[in-house]
Amino acid sequence: MNRLILKYGYPLTIVILAIFAWVVYQRVSRGWSEVIPLAVAAGIVWVVGAPAFIYVWPRLTVNGFKKAILKHGLGGGPIPVNTLYAAPMTSSASAPRGSLLATGTDHLLYLGGWLDLKAGPQVLHVPDMAGRYYSVQFTDPSSSANFAYVGKRTTGTKAGDYLLTGPDWKGNVPDGTRRISSPNHAVLVVGRVFVEGESDLPIAYGLAKEIRLVPLGRQ
Amino acid sequence: MASILAWVAQSGVLQGIIIGGTLAFLTAVLIMNAVARAVTKTNNGWRVIRQCGQPANGVLVRAACAKALPVVNVFEEAAYWTTATDGSGQTLAGRHEYILRFPAGQLPPNDAFWSLTLTDVVGYMVNNPINRSSIDDRSSLVKNADGSVDIYLQHNAPPGHGQNWLPSPPGKFKLMLRVYLPGAAILNDTYRVPHVVRTT
Repeated sequence: MNRLILKYGYPLTIVILAIFAWVVYQRVSRGWSEVIPLAVAAGIVWVVGAPAFIYVWPRLTVNGFKKAILKHGLGGGPIPVNTLYAAPMTSSASAPRGSLLATGTDHLLYLGGWLDLKAGPQVLHVPDMAGRYYSVQFTDPSSSANFAYVGKRTTGTKAGDYLLTGPDWKGNVPDGTRRISSPNHAVLVVGRVFVEGESDLPIAYGLAKEIRLVPLGRQ
Repeated sequence: MASILAWVAQSGVLQGIIIGGTLAFLTAVLIMNAVARAVTKTNNGWRVIRQCGQPANGVLVRAACAKALPVVNVFEEAAYWTTATDGSGQTLAGRHEYILRFPAGQLPPNDAFWSLTLTDVVGYMVNNPINRSSIDDRSSLVKNADGSVDIYLQHNAPPGHGQNWLPSPPGKFKLMLRVYLPGAAILNDTYRVPHVVRTT
């Protein structure tokens, strides 16, 4: 969809605006008073709509990722809510066009997942990465802000468990677990694990698969 | 009731709502593009936005980032530069040949890795005979005598420089330089990506 908009955006816009101009012209030719209801409605919707579009745009884009994850997945079929899926291959030109994996870098294995914390917190487990670059990004769908990271930069590369809690959650954080408070029940998760080269791919993939989510209390 | 519906249909209110909604959408896109341009820094033709993904961003910057670089990493995690033009401002195209020269010791500083990816203008990787869509710090790049590194961006293999070759498609293309865990010189904005020089 994005691709089509990028490719045909300008001609399409011009055609649509031309149709609008013709509609308005038709009314005006029947007398100026004929165009008043149209003009008033258009003006109100325009003034209210433009800021509204800007306000919801981050949510719309994150929801695009949500749909991609829950409906199509990263090559292995739909990814259920509250699970992480690690793509076994890096991005490449041979990935299906339009897929998320045709746009990344071939030095990373990507993980994707969509969290719903309404039913309770989730525990993110990460294995010992032994110095390898990796990151798990947590994005708030309402603002598209990355409110937390687990990974080499923020938490180091040792094995660890992280408790992801939704807003208003109260309870005990298990020993040895660090809490990450989400501003929202819904969370987009994007993981990245560095791949040194082709011979390193099985090792990197093995580690990526060990980045897992488990509901609190069921570890 | 029927008369109200008839009025809605004939008065032009419905048309007005459709027209207003479309204009609102176009206005929003124009505003987001303008904000994205305002927060974009350009050096040597390379464009970069440093503030995306940060929780403190206001509504406009959030929207501009979501449009320009959806769900992108924060800058401290990964810096992304893009360019679709050479150093003189001309659009990059496969019918020309280009060199990107990193002076000695000026490869992107980082604590993870860097990579230079060549894509079509939308952002998808392109098929090529050597199956290479990016060049990076593990590519065993050949250095010049003075320690600088030349990366050859062209459609046909550069004789004797195949190791440093990043194949371009016949048509227009763009480049993305990613630096994961960017070093201090990038974070404090003193590092500059060199410009792409057209050679033929």
